[in-house]
Amino acid sequence: MAPLQKRALYSFVIGLVLTTVLIVVFVAQGDITAFERDLNLRLIMYAVLVGVPLIYLILVNLTLRKPTQLDERDRLIIERSSRAQWLTVIFTLVAWTIALTEIYQEQGQVPIAFLKLIFTSTLIISTLAQSLGILVGYWEMNRNG
Amino acid sequence: MGRIKNRIRRLRFDHDEMTQEELANRVGCTRQTIIALEQNKYVPSIELAFRVARAFGVPLEEVFQDEDS
Repeated sequence: MAPLQKRALYSFVIGLVLTTVLIVVFVAQGDITAFERDLNLRLIMYAVLVGVPLIYLILVNLTLRKPTQLDERDRLIIERSSRAQWLTVIFTLVAWTIALTEIYQEQGQVPIAFLKLIFTSTLIISTLAQSLGILVGYWEMNRNG
Repeated sequence: MGRIKNRIRRLRFDHDEMTQEELANRVGCTRQTIIALEQNKYVPSIELAFRVARAFGVPLEEVFQDEDS
């Protein structure tokens, strides 16, 4: 497995774990407003938001230490995956915009906790999309050339 | 892919059974790219192609051949 492929796999797994944690935490707490009420929930979220990128950086450092571990084929795959990543981020933001507009149209305001949720979800989805794009890129290249 | 064929595998064996890892280190790419090249699943850039030829000490056309020509 190429170093970049390994890194993408780690990122994908971390992204999935983070998504699951977020969903479980928010489902367990009832709704989005729990974030504003519950200090413990906020602390858990902040720990996750700081801890996960730290773990990610350590893993990246372990899997891609030398610049020679990334060659022209890897760069081609990254380039292709970035397009998928960009599109996914745009669609995520469109989905958030439509959903929040439709749900909170009558109230005329959106709970502030959504800011954190939008940021976090976009970050996670962006990471997931790039990792998946890289993994699919390798798979396609190995299949079709 | 597949219009550009190469003799990397053959040349490695002709050069004291050079390993894929050794060749990768010499030309500055990953072993996985050498594997992809040998399986004709990746067509390298001109630059990488020249580096591979230089690693074996042969002209470019001895390593890579266009199937149509």
